[in-house]
Amino acid sequence: MKKQLGFFHDSHLCIGCNTCAIACKNQYHQEVGVVWRRVVSLSEEIYPHRERAFRSLACNHCENPVCLEVCPVQAYTKREKDGVVIHNQDRCIGCGNCIRSCPYGVPQFNPVLKKAEKCSLCWQRLDAGLDPACVQACPTKALQLIDLATFDDPSATQKAPGFPDFPKINPSIRFREPRLPEVVRRETL
Amino acid sequence: MELSLVLFTVLGQMAVGMTVMMVLREWKMSEVPGISSSLSGQWVLAGLVVLAALVASIFHLGHPEHSYRALVHLSTSWLSREILFYLLFGCLIVIGFFAIQKRSPSRGILIKVTGVVGLIAVVSSGMVYSPPSFPALNNGIPIFFFMLTAFILGSAFASYFVEEEKQSLLVYILISSLVVGLIVNLLIPSIWLSGGKVMQMTGKAYYGSVLYWLRLAGEFGLGLAVLGMMKKIPAWLPIILLAGELLGRIMVFSHVVNTSVNMGILY
Repeated sequence: MKKQLGFFHDSHLCIGCNTCAIACKNQYHQEVGVVWRRVVSLSEEIYPHRERAFRSLACNHCENPVCLEVCPVQAYTKREKDGVVIHNQDRCIGCGNCIRSCPYGVPQFNPVLKKAEKCSLCWQRLDAGLDPACVQACPTKALQLIDLATFDDPSATQKAPGFPDFPKINPSIRFREPRLPEVVRRETL
Repeated sequence: MELSLVLFTVLGQMAVGMTVMMVLREWKMSEVPGISSSLSGQWVLAGLVVLAALVASIFHLGHPEHSYRALVHLSTSWLSREILFYLLFGCLIVIGFFAIQKRSPSRGILIKVTGVVGLIAVVSSGMVYSPPSFPALNNGIPIFFFMLTAFILGSAFASYFVEEEKQSLLVYILISSLVVGLIVNLLIPSIWLSGGKVMQMTGKAYYGSVLYWLRLAGEFGLGLAVLGMMKKIPAWLPIILLAGELLGRIMVFSHVVNTSVNMGILY
């Protein structure tokens, strides 16, 4: 398998602090309302406990990206060397077709530039040997950068509740599910 | 909700429907286009309508000045193909207009080719609006809906150019399209209700919408009642049907639910 970078999110470690989303905002200063990374809380149907569990979501840099396929102006490219899906804003004409078509709701409309935009997996930082801003900022290491060509964690899954399943698109993200909460009791004297 | 895309899709399909009606009349009733001035009037109206559709489509772009670039990704993008086929359709209408005016012997074949290219444009539109993000539409439904629009509006507006005693074919096509439209529009939301969570949300949004029932009654119910009683297409009916189709398209853009709204909830 060719090198394919993606995110790994460990819901057991994630505390829902939103530092990843804020780090993204700090790095790129997106317009108000434009969000490249978001933290969603798992519903009670999925995690029926008093504690909460989260998923941190951004672009999945899919193997077969819908955005790239549907864009009429070829604004999207997938890098050969690491599989990162990049949106070239100079080419974008703001038709919104990628925004409508991505099943993960990743591309967003920039109301000032009147163009689409999305998470770039901080490819400039990657090329400089750094981690993406969100990964670097995560205080619990719940969010990590992985290469699917070498990633081999049997507890990780792509098909997770609360995340739409599209095998053909093959999103480059892996999750570790939250564990059941533990009851810690003081020993009786 | 994108009003310019509502106008583009509905008007584009109406223009295609009008040209297809010319093909069907020529084939079924041996009417030779160009003999009657009203037939060239129908051709001109189809041209003006597709022009209005293409102009409307530009207004949904963030950068309309670069709209020409939309043709560069024909290899995989159905949006590029849709624009190509609609432009081709528009060009064929212009060429066909001159052929009809000059009573060129090639006008018959030209009209047929224009109708076929128009139908391909409608199929391309259907493919654009069936992405995986909308499970309710990620199938053949958009193509079917769009074809229905073409046949309903095409036959209705073509009636302006046909004498009452020669309207039987158009009335037959319009009644058939409205019957199919009524059944399909009643049935499809119930099929959505038996699907996954996001499809169910779409089905509930449709059944719970006043616009949905208004369209069923105002477009299909009224249309069928009028046609059943009068056996002809009164001049005001196409306007009502156009309003109904616009309403239906507004619902597609505003009521069909995207998978991304359900992140963190079971699918």
